[in-house]
Amino acid sequence: MRNYLFLLVFVLIGGSIAAQEVAMSASEISAFKQKVIATAKSTNSIKADFVQFKHLDFLANDVQTSGKMVFKAPNLVKWEYTNPYQYSVIFKEDKLLINDGGTKSKVDIGNSNLFKKLNELIVNSVKGNMFNDADFRVSFYKVSKHYKAVFVPKDKKIANYIASFELLFNKDDAQVHEVKMIEPSKDFTRIIFSNRVLNSKVNDSVFSN
Amino acid sequence: MIRFLVISLSLVFSLTSCSLKTTEGLRPIGLNENGKLNKEVENLYFSNPEIDYVYKAKIKVYKKNFGGILIVKKTGPKNHRVVFTTEFGSKLLDFQFDGDKFTKNFVVEDLDKKFIINILRDDFKLLITEKSDILKAFSSEVHNVFKAQSEERFNYYFFEKGTGKLQKIVNTTKRKEKVEVNFTSTEKEIADIISIKHNNFKLTIDLEKFKKK
Repeated sequence: MRNYLFLLVFVLIGGSIAAQEVAMSASEISAFKQKVIATAKSTNSIKADFVQFKHLDFLANDVQTSGKMVFKAPNLVKWEYTNPYQYSVIFKEDKLLINDGGTKSKVDIGNSNLFKKLNELIVNSVKGNMFNDADFRVSFYKVSKHYKAVFVPKDKKIANYIASFELLFNKDDAQVHEVKMIEPSKDFTRIIFSNRVLNSKVNDSVFSN
Repeated sequence: MIRFLVISLSLVFSLTSCSLKTTEGLRPIGLNENGKLNKEVENLYFSNPEIDYVYKAKIKVYKKNFGGILIVKKTGPKNHRVVFTTEFGSKLLDFQFDGDKFTKNFVVEDLDKKFIINILRDDFKLLITEKSDILKAFSSEVHNVFKAQSEERFNYYFFEKGTGKLQKIVNTTKRKEKVEVNFTSTEKEIADIISIKHNNFKLTIDLEKFKKK
């Protein structure tokens, strides 16, 4: 009897999880991809606020930081943390321009394939258009208000750092709402965007240190 | 001639044995003077298991600068986790201290070199070590100073008189200062700013505690 009860509970819980997250059908996936690609194509610039949560299993609370992100097509990105400290990184060609509370530095990533890949991920995840990346296995799900794309690295070296990479897209405008990077240890970083402004004028001077 | 030798030798001996700048001008005091002194010296800056200790870190090695976030948590009576991440949250290293046992849970490939790991392990160990037996006690106008053994080296703990705040730890060999850690704190058991400076090579680690919102 007890076993049946367990089974019933299991089925109910399992059922509710399945109801929250459903794999997308092939036709849904292709329609969704087209929408994301079309949106990315028509997007010349993005400005957004973000909140970042770093989850470590041994902490009482996630480490929370926040700031602003600016993207300008085709591949300029600036991440600027403003709380609780001032720190910005500009992704520009093969360089990272860093301003750490007034201490400026430049990092050349041209020689590091791994670093290049990680940066490409960050840049592409802002646009959402990274489905054709041959380095990942991608699967798609529907979750209440969002579509979810899960990227699992094929490359073992990348897999040492990232177990998977999840992007949540708004169902209505196909914009990236949330980025989640899960480490092999299951600890993760979540970045949630808000106050998104599309296609406003962004000067190139934003991307210099 | 023999007399000259004895004098010069004893002079050399006394000069080398007293060459630690750390203890210059300090007055040695008896451990049981007035019965006031404990036998153990305490560093309480990472001692509260309820607190997630989170710091913005700036590391300067020779002329290169690195940034990141340092997270320290007391996970048991003699246990600490120390994790260093980039600003984006990617883990660079994850250390675990269980009493005297040290475990390297994770280190990013570029940093995984023995001498780097050893330096960082020793620096973090110096920060989180809560209690040490006092070997000697000193006093100056502004500080009470306690000397403690740290494996084959020594740590000198400087406490501000009056407030009782730990302001400085100096890690030394018998003759030379190796590492100096300075603390700035508004509350007694919370270090707002920590600066770790190495004397034998150009490495400084500056830590600033995340402000409460």
